[in-house]
Amino acid sequence: MAKFEAGMESMVDMYIFETNSLIEQLDQILMKTENENSFGEEEINEIFRIMHTVKGSSAMMGLENMSHLAHAIEDMFFIIREDNPVISDMRTLYDIVFTASDLLKAEIEILQDEDSEPTDFSEHMQKIKTYAEFLKNGGGDAAPAMTAAAAAPAGAASTAPAPAAGGDEMVTVSVCGDESLTTVKVTFEEDCKMENLRALLVINNIRNECAVLKFEPGDIEDNADTSKIIAEQGFIIHFAPAQTTAEDVISLIGSTMNVKTCDVVSMGGEKKTEVPLSSLTSVKVTFEEECKMENLRALMIVNNIREECELLAFTPEDIETNQSTAAYIKDNGFIVRFKSDYGDDAIMGLIKETANVKSVELMETAVAAAASASAIPSEAQKAEAPAQEAQAAQGTAPAAAEAPKPAAASANAPAPAAQAEKKPADNKAASVKQSLISVNLNKLDQLLNLVGEIVIAESMVTSNPDLKGLRLDNFQKAARQLKKLNSEMQEAVMSIRMVPISGAFNKMTRIVRDMKVKLNKDVELVFEGEDTEVDKSIIDNLNDPLMHMVRNSVDHGIEEDVQDRINAGKPAKGKVTLSAYSSSGDVVIMVSDDGAGMDPEKILDKAERNGVLSKPRYEYTEKEALNLVMLPGFSTNETVTEYSGRGVGMDVVRQNIEKVGGTVSVDSKVGEGTSFIIKIPLSLSIVDGMEVSVGKSIFTIPISQINQSFKLNPNQLLRDTSGNEMIMIFGECYPLIRLYEIYGLDGAETDLYKGIIISVEADGKKACILADELLGEQQVVVKPFAPLLNNYNVKQNGMSGCSILGDGSITIILDVTNII
Amino acid sequence: MSNINEDERDFMSVGGEVMLFTIDNAVYGIEVKYVNEIIGIEQITVVPKVPYYIKGVINIRGKVVPIISTRARFGKEEIPYDERTCIIVLEFDGGNQVGMIVDRVREVMVASPEEISVTPTHNNVNTSHYIKNIIENEDGIKLLLNCERLIMDL
Repeated sequence: MAKFEAGMESMVDMYIFETNSLIEQLDQILMKTENENSFGEEEINEIFRIMHTVKGSSAMMGLENMSHLAHAIEDMFFIIREDNPVISDMRTLYDIVFTASDLLKAEIEILQDEDSEPTDFSEHMQKIKTYAEFLKNGGGDAAPAMTAAAAAPAGAASTAPAPAAGGDEMVTVSVCGDESLTTVKVTFEEDCKMENLRALLVINNIRNECAVLKFEPGDIEDNADTSKIIAEQGFIIHFAPAQTTAEDVISLIGSTMNVKTCDVVSMGGEKKTEVPLSSLTSVKVTFEEECKMENLRALMIVNNIREECELLAFTPEDIETNQSTAAYIKDNGFIVRFKSDYGDDAIMGLIKETANVKSVELMETAVAAAASASAIPSEAQKAEAPAQEAQAAQGTAPAAAEAPKPAAASANAPAPAAQAEKKPADNKAASVKQSLISVNLNKLDQLLNLVGEIVIAESMVTSNPDLKGLRLDNFQKAARQLKKLNSEMQEAVMSIRMVPISGAFNKMTRIVRDMKVKLNKDVELVFEGEDTEVDKSIIDNLNDPLMHMVRNSVDHGIEEDVQDRINAGKPAKGKVTLSAYSSSGDVVIMVSDDGAGMDPEKILDKAERNGVLSKPRYEYTEKEALNLVMLPGFSTNETVTEYSGRGVGMDVVRQNIEKVGGTVSVDSKVGEGTSFIIKIPLSLSIVDGMEVSVGKSIFTIPISQINQSFKLNPNQLLRDTSGNEMIMIFGECYPLIRLYEIYGLDGAETDLYKGIIISVEADGKKACILADELLGEQQVVVKPFAPLLNNYNVKQNGMSGCSILGDGSITIILDVTNII
Repeated sequence: MSNINEDERDFMSVGGEVMLFTIDNAVYGIEVKYVNEIIGIEQITVVPKVPYYIKGVINIRGKVVPIISTRARFGKEEIPYDERTCIIVLEFDGGNQVGMIVDRVREVMVASPEEISVTPTHNNVNTSHYIKNIIENEDGIKLLLNCERLIMDL
């Protein structure tokens, strides 16, 4: 991870997670607005906020390319929001933003790769800028194509009205500037030597307490020469405390070995920059009457919003140190002035959330400039723009909204209507956020493993051989209780890992959208049962297969020619349905289209030509014929398009699904459409199984695959001409499989009448299995085979994993699908 | 492959601790860094349909670990296990564990760089695919095994 500064590695996961979900959110908004064909104010603000966060966090991670790209889009939306241009050329706008979101996604994907170089986005950024200029220039009366706009960027710039953000200005400073950092100068005792290492000690000491930490000289760890610099000039630390106060950190520094002095150069938050009052939003906060210690409550507010604000000032200023300010605040209220990219509403919301706050009122800014008001109300304040323009915009916006009122500092009327409306929504969002936490998947895996171990340990205790033959009523009672609790815990842990499948589905909207444009087909994507919950690890493996299947459906499922559809009496608009539901321990996911369907005969023709038929053609059932399309390299499409036809897709689908223990099948009716049906076990790790012995080995057959078990009756046995044994049950004939034979095991029961016959069913196929005896039913925890064994296709040979039994011995879990 | 070569060179130049075991009368060594533990022989659960030298799997504190017979791996005749038969449990990057059945475990020795030499290759026949280095000291010659190849290049 050479890409990231030391100390940033731990943040990478978080960053990737956050940015990914933001970009997904962006895609969703875009998709929604594209359908409605208009940008609402909400959406623009949301996009703006997303790009802003991406920009900020990318800059923090030192990923300049991403931060610049995000910034360019932010600028563009700034123009859209400020100037409100008539956008006639929506397609171009969407293409630009979608491409940018793809670029960002791709970049995140390669982030974890150590060797990858940051991608150069300048080409796309130029496009964005050009388009932004074009928008700024009034937008689309003539709706010129991108190339036209690109040809005349200079002209656009010169005629552009002043207040909009210059698309060419690349501000990379992180949102929370250095103003918020506290700076201290540390000197060490004169004869202590190795000042650089002592300095490092100081840094290590305070690292955990600091949200932001920088120091000069920076290379103390690697550069011994810095000790001299430190000895002569002292060691400068800039920091922002995380949970504690700056004072605590300073005292921590002071207590480090050999530190002589620790002088505060500047305190965080108090560092003044010359900013006209008009550029700040002022609010007056009052506290509940009885709350006492108003100064500390005020401090809490300040700490609460500090991170979100670019600039922050408050009166009275010395709340932290001066007790008497409490009385002042009580009488006069606490005035906070800030400038923030998160929008005034958000900050005011934050203030309001702080304990004991009674009211938050927006104060009139002192300079109510009478400049022409922008059409967009106070939301304009959220804009992050180069200082001057921002000042102008921010000065005017509130003034416009509240123009009739006097500019007095006293309490104003409640917030403007727009704000009032937004507030409940904001609060709701905040409360939802608080009830969710994001957890590292590894921890959940670990938890699941532990639960698995407990299930094993439980059976080790309750079916302990030492207990055999004893009559232990109380023990049995307690054991039952334990078993019940364990299974409840198991369910709870499983449910933690369950996520709705809608996330995976939603990604498909984007794919369909892109294909619609490229292939010029009118297709709608419909979801059914998208709130069905599936294990997280399954979802992760579903994305690729779903993508291939959806592409398949749109590309060659839906008819090429609209007229064909109309002639067939179908609506002109094609329909692809993604549906999910759970049925008896499996989750079933279907991708269906209402297209032309597949003709089994044609598939067989092609398969014959490709020489992939494994038995005489006439022996293929319709279903088997359809399933031939899953074979590697098999494509029914005659021409290769960008999306499908290479014959790779369905094979990938099958592999991916089989990896998580699922199955894929195809169903199709000529003229009516095609469905791909995926069946995946709901949870991968704990299986209800029947233990059977074969010779010295113990195998576990999942109960879900067992139909019945019985002793063979001589009149049930049949032999075909080649001597294959078959068993007749209720008038149906099933092939007999002798486990010891296919697995080459010694010492097993070979007499059909002495052993036990188990009738199994999987994938619509049925068979009977001969085993020595049934040992009992047990819940087992599936442990995957070691990679060493996976080299030998154990899965293809019908073994899906192994498990440890109560007595510590190992059982192999069979997957009947691959045996019969 | 380049990693293995680098690793080889590294061991050549600095030496290191080597655990010795015997099969028949030959002494073999494995670098101690791979060795997780040594356990006595125990009940091995057979896994069907795998090569003959993979004897099956055992349960080591809740982990299912595949076991290979070093004798069979080297194409030697298999002998019944006795009380000196051991399973050396190796652990590779990523926590992957594999057990090796050996006749006897001897001791851990420290190989110094001057005792280590490369394995010969002649006539394009790599006679020593699984031998990483040869260690020679006053006690005799030991063959240092290349664990990755031995276990993974099956």
